[in-house]
Amino acid sequence: MDALVRFVEGFFALIQTGADTFVGIATGIIPTLLVLMTLVNLIVRLIGPERVERTAEKLTGNVFARYLVLPVISVIVLMNPLATTMGRFLKEEHKPGFIDATESFFHPPLGLFPHINPAEIFVYMGIAIGIQTLGLSLAPMAVRAFLAGLVVILVRGIITERIMALMMARRGITVDSLYEVAEEQPRAAMF
Amino acid sequence: MNIAYRSMEFVSRFVGAFINNFYAAGRDTVEQVIRNVLPFMVFVSAMIGIILGTQIGSTIANVLTPLANNLLGLIVISLLCGIPVLSPLLGPGAVIASVVGTLLGTQIGAGAIPPNLAIAALFAINTQVGCDFFPVDLSLAEATPKTVEVGIPAMLFSRWITGPIAVVIGWIAGLGMY
Repeated sequence: MDALVRFVEGFFALIQTGADTFVGIATGIIPTLLVLMTLVNLIVRLIGPERVERTAEKLTGNVFARYLVLPVISVIVLMNPLATTMGRFLKEEHKPGFIDATESFFHPPLGLFPHINPAEIFVYMGIAIGIQTLGLSLAPMAVRAFLAGLVVILVRGIITERIMALMMARRGITVDSLYEVAEEQPRAAMF
Repeated sequence: MNIAYRSMEFVSRFVGAFINNFYAAGRDTVEQVIRNVLPFMVFVSAMIGIILGTQIGSTIANVLTPLANNLLGLIVISLLCGIPVLSPLLGPGAVIASVVGTLLGTQIGAGAIPPNLAIAALFAINTQVGCDFFPVDLSLAEATPKTVEVGIPAMLFSRWITGPIAVVIGWIAGLGMY
């Protein structure tokens, strides 16, 4: 009986923690996110979505653009988690590399641009607080983490692209077949 | 008089178009937030509740922290967090990375971990960043099912390789920092 009561208490504490976290994230991020996204959407509308898309396509021809410039701009402007939506401007075989690079840039710049990922700021700040405790300035870490992040995302993007190409070659998948939309196959019954 | 009428018409038409766009931008935003962002936040909150409520996070943190005081240990952390089957499970909400990060921060503050390793540590504990979210990301990027099928394993394997590389890059970036 006691064990059951404790289990129920633990379970409700767990739900409550989740709910408190949600209120924190929702009131903290959503208002800023709404205003900022509205402004970005407005700018895209005023320039014209086609023109934005055309420019993006033209700009993503080389690895530096795909895995360095575009991820950095997307993360700073669109933030977590919407930055990866910019992947729609890339070719299919480049999307995984771009997403890997973009996801990897959600934390290194938090010292300089805390707005990009306030919900996950403690990944960075947790460590940075230690530096603060020692009485050292946070600025060198913020700048160096940002720069190291740039190198890391470029390396990740390129390596992911290579591994994807290798896997495709081994499985006999051509680049063109990535674009084929498979016919909806009736799913086999599980039982 | 004619000029006055025309300029009035011009201004009101311009303002009308602007407000129309502004309104539509707001509507797009709300739609995007409700469809993509809010479910993500609810999911993350629930995961955080589970991770904190069951103390999985601090258990993992206590296992990993003793490794973090030198470069080799950080590379081991990164290899552990990057195991392709494990990385998607460690990812949600970056909760585990936050908990481990905070614990490492206290260790740095206590002098147990040299502050120059801070950036390497940031990359080590975060090797799994986003691994839980790759399928959603690919759908946000409007990838085809075939790309998803090949892309996800490719990304997970790539992470395992690039995790330690990122730690080394972070280590180099931290040389002579303080």
